[in-house]
Amino acid sequence: MTIINKIFGASPFGPLLEHAKKVHECIKLIPELMDALINEDHERVHCLQDCVSKLEYEADQIKHDIRENLPRRYFLPVSREDLDNYLHMQDHIADAVEDFAVILLIRKTRIHHDLTDEFLAFAKHIVSVADKLMVAAKEMQNLAETSFGGAEARKVLDLIQGLGQEEWKADRMQRKLSMHIYEKEKELDPVTILFYEKIIISLSQIANAADNTGEVLRMMIVKGR
Amino acid sequence: MITIFIGVTFLLGFYMAWTIGANDVANSMADAVGSDSCTIKQAVIAAGICEFAGAVLVGAHVTDTIRKGIVDPSYITSIPGMTQSHAAAIIVIGMVSALLAAAIWLHVATAFGMPVSTTHSIVGGVTGFGIIAAGWAAVNWSKIGQIVASWFISPLLGGILSFIIFKIISGLILQHNIPTRRAVRYAPLLFFFTAFVVISAIIFKGMKHLIREESLKWLNGSMAILIASGVGILTTVWSRIFLKKRLKKYFRSSLSEQLEKVERVFAPMVFITSCTVAFAHGANDVANAVGPLAAVIDILRNGNVQMKVSVPPWVLMIGGIGIVTGLAMYGYKVMTTVGKKITVITPSRGLAADIAGMTVVLLCSRLKLPVSTTHTLVGAIIGVAFARGVGAVNKRVTRNIFSSWLVTVPVAALLSIIIFLIGRLFLLGSIIDLIKSGSGG
Repeated sequence: MTIINKIFGASPFGPLLEHAKKVHECIKLIPELMDALINEDHERVHCLQDCVSKLEYEADQIKHDIRENLPRRYFLPVSREDLDNYLHMQDHIADAVEDFAVILLIRKTRIHHDLTDEFLAFAKHIVSVADKLMVAAKEMQNLAETSFGGAEARKVLDLIQGLGQEEWKADRMQRKLSMHIYEKEKELDPVTILFYEKIIISLSQIANAADNTGEVLRMMIVKGR
Repeated sequence: MITIFIGVTFLLGFYMAWTIGANDVANSMADAVGSDSCTIKQAVIAAGICEFAGAVLVGAHVTDTIRKGIVDPSYITSIPGMTQSHAAAIIVIGMVSALLAAAIWLHVATAFGMPVSTTHSIVGGVTGFGIIAAGWAAVNWSKIGQIVASWFISPLLGGILSFIIFKIISGLILQHNIPTRRAVRYAPLLFFFTAFVVISAIIFKGMKHLIREESLKWLNGSMAILIASGVGILTTVWSRIFLKKRLKKYFRSSLSEQLEKVERVFAPMVFITSCTVAFAHGANDVANAVGPLAAVIDILRNGNVQMKVSVPPWVLMIGGIGIVTGLAMYGYKVMTTVGKKITVITPSRGLAADIAGMTVVLLCSRLKLPVSTTHTLVGAIIGVAFARGVGAVNKRVTRNIFSSWLVTVPVAALLSIIIFLIGRLFLLGSIIDLIKSGSGG
């Protein structure tokens, strides 16, 4: 048993799953945040932003743990670079959610009553994009068990494929929403328009981060070592 | 007087066996413990029983090589001016030096927590003595060459074999979208293979000693294969029924639950194969302790240097008991200090590594090549890692383990030379007398 203690390192795939779960917790708060802003419940916005901040911090802790316990001298079933990138990208999703929450916090922006439905729909779609990635990410433990091959790997690759399409749809929704905003520019003050833009961009950053994470996950599976 | 000397050698052999047990604490059970197929306590107990069995039932084969395969005694007897008793005495002192040197090195290494190879230590020790006693020509360099080659080949072979086995397990069962169904269909075949290798190993190797007896003459090659196949088929049929009953209700469960259930099915098999690895380890390594001891006893009893003598079973038993004692004492320490249990591999990985390791070690024992069981096992684990089966393997530790023999062989040889020179200086006269008196001139 002196061999096991020395030869085997702690597998990073369990902690990667834990990290994914934390990020998912962040994502779940997006519709609530949007909803609170629309209803001008700024206390709730503040409270939710606190939650996101705490979750993002906890995700960072897990990320640091993984990095600390994975020195370069470990031989992994996937390429070391891909794993590092994947962790970085997945963590970036949580960062993007935090950025979004902060934008909602710093200014009590009023959403024009004609645009509320569209903003909410856009936020919900971004969440569905990120969710799709999360479903794939949560298969991490199973992927490790099946050695990143076979039926499980194919299933995850399919999920990631679908992710790309949803992200493209999100881009289209973003363009439409922006166009509607500028149609109403006479009724809105410049700073409000500025913040509408910030909100939309930060939401699309979340979707981009999810898409990028999916890409790296795909490479991890396909490229092998 | 002879009895005292034999007694001292006996103690040395026991000491060597003890350090073997301590240094290698249940490494053979590594796959079972690492995959959570048994507790550390169960591992140490099982290792103790199986290593002892392996030592006593099989040990004689490899003992031969250590005894006379490395150094050809006739080179010593044929030195001009060398009487039989003189030569015999030289060999006695030499073997004891080799034993003592190897044991000391092992003890030091264990104290520093380094898992060095016991096999490499004794081979180094015997080689050292051979060079000094009778010059470079006395050492059977081609045999040494074979042995060193086997140190490279055994982990490599272990790795290749485990890679193949794990790819099969992974591809046929784990990577399917309904693993439990595949397990019901294919695991019994895997178990047939496992049972076949285990039983034939025990018969061919374990009973070989006993087969010499007339009553067991019928237990020859083809009969053994028949028995092994029979047990294999029984295992297959029984496991098929058992698995179907056990796994049927999980056919529609989530993938993670199915994978978990399938892994649990492999757990008892890993325990059995690890026990067989312990058996093979006992067989292989007892020779390290007992080989030189057997040579010394031969000579002191018979007065001259004989080519072919059988190893008395009680000598093997000393080795066996020694290994078990060392294992138990250090095993106790390990049991109490290892707190948190990290499951680092799953049973399927452990099974692939174990089957590969056990097959290669038994093969090499059959070919009378003293290989390092631990190194072979490590090679097998790496093989599974290459098949993308292990979460993280410490490359540096692996490199250290394999390169440790670069240090072990020279150090053991050097120590052996020093001890031999001292021994020859002080004890040569008295031992020649002992032999002369023992054999009547």
